[in-house]
Amino acid sequence: MYNLVKKDLKLGVSPIFLVMPLLTGALMLIPAWIYVLVPLYFCWITVPNMFAGFKAQNDLLFTTMMPVTKRDMVKARVSVVVLLELLHIGIAMIFGIFTFLLYPDMIYYFFAPTLGFWGVCLAMFGIFNLVFIPMYYKTAYNYGKATFASIAAAMLFAGIAQWVGISNSNVADVFTGSRMDDMALQASILVAGIAIFAAFTAIAYRVGFNRFQKVEAQ
Amino acid sequence: MLALDIRGVNKKYQAFQLKDVSFQLEKGYIMGFIGANGAGKTTTIKSILNMVHIDSGEVRIMGKNMAEHEIDLKQEIGCAFGGIDFYTRSKVKTLTDVIKKFYTKWDDTTYRHYLRRFKLDENKKIAELSTGMKVKYGLALALSHGAKLLILDEPTSGLDPVARDDLLDVFQELVSDGEVSILFSTHITSDLEKCADFITFIENGQIVNSAEKNEFVESYRLLHGNESQLRQVKERLISYKVNSFGFTGLIHSTDYVPSSDIKATTPSLEEIMIYFAKKEGANV
Repeated sequence: MYNLVKKDLKLGVSPIFLVMPLLTGALMLIPAWIYVLVPLYFCWITVPNMFAGFKAQNDLLFTTMMPVTKRDMVKARVSVVVLLELLHIGIAMIFGIFTFLLYPDMIYYFFAPTLGFWGVCLAMFGIFNLVFIPMYYKTAYNYGKATFASIAAAMLFAGIAQWVGISNSNVADVFTGSRMDDMALQASILVAGIAIFAAFTAIAYRVGFNRFQKVEAQ
Repeated sequence: MLALDIRGVNKKYQAFQLKDVSFQLEKGYIMGFIGANGAGKTTTIKSILNMVHIDSGEVRIMGKNMAEHEIDLKQEIGCAFGGIDFYTRSKVKTLTDVIKKFYTKWDDTTYRHYLRRFKLDENKKIAELSTGMKVKYGLALALSHGAKLLILDEPTSGLDPVARDDLLDVFQELVSDGEVSILFSTHITSDLEKCADFITFIENGQIVNSAEKNEFVESYRLLHGNESQLRQVKERLISYKVNSFGFTGLIHSTDYVPSSDIKATTPSLEEIMIYFAKKEGANV
């Protein structure tokens, strides 16, 4: 499995997608911006480009020819997606710290980059994975419909979450108001986000693997 | 010992099916797998490699069931698909560094030997290699991980005559010590006349014949005669062509009764393929 991850990182994933989190993360420095857009750039740019590369380079046939199990093939690909997602979130979180340092008195209308906000972002990635991975593994090379549906699901979740974050005063308090400094609450939202991300990704992997078993290498 | 043993493989698609495909390849020999485009060569090869799910039948490689020992057996198989390239913008060196990690018996010394033998430049990108060089690179990889069975789909397609001849020499050299066996599919029958020990012929998803090369061609006769002679043998012919001089038709040697009037010759592989294709066409 480890060799397959290395294979994807060396051959399939262009170095730009490893640098991209620095560029998208820097968007966190825009004062009081719609920060939920920052992780969405991963879904909009990295995923379709990366999977287009796999398709164009006949990765499915290439990998199937080697002595690897189908389970490891799915596990490795999901690991690469998760690795990049965590890279995007991790780097954006670091930029988020600087956002607070640079603009200490900022008034936020949209989500502020609190710990709880990153929990929301992880839940969004969980939803993205839950839609994308099972749909992709119907063929293991066609990525268009899966990308469209998963981005739509992630954006819908982000839109609703942000709308609730503005319109509901209790939620607004947590993400942009007086409870932004309630570390116990913020940490518990982050943990909940991690749990949703992990659970949804695990389900996505299982469904993806079951579908991939029926796929014939073309 | 059988390097490859395929028995009763069936695989049905909407518009095509493999029907009861069976043939065997002895260790240390070259088998040419011939058939027209769309006859089922690639589907058979993908069935052997467990890349498609067969409906029934069994594939055994070096005595082991492929479905049960796929990962172990893939350590001992080298395969290449002509005309399909992988990661063409990567350098040979980069691709090798990735691939070799998957093989437990990878031998760098052997790899270096074949790089020199095939005059491959590790710093070139895959896209910069000629078609022949790509096939040779595939062979170098397979032989460096100790592959005992090479399964090559159309490896000579798209090569110029010189490169094809060179590659066929390499094939013969590889099997000379009796350890490596090669199954290669092609529709270029002259390749097989040069280097194959056995021929397996597939037509419309069914194996027509699988035999030692001379035995294979000797099992058919190409008849030449006039129109009245055609009437005598028409029912027994596999197919025939009529021209201004009379007819030319292919017949199973067992169905041929020597007669002084009808001229019979040994057909070439190409002629066998063409007359079988004509038969299929007539049945449509």
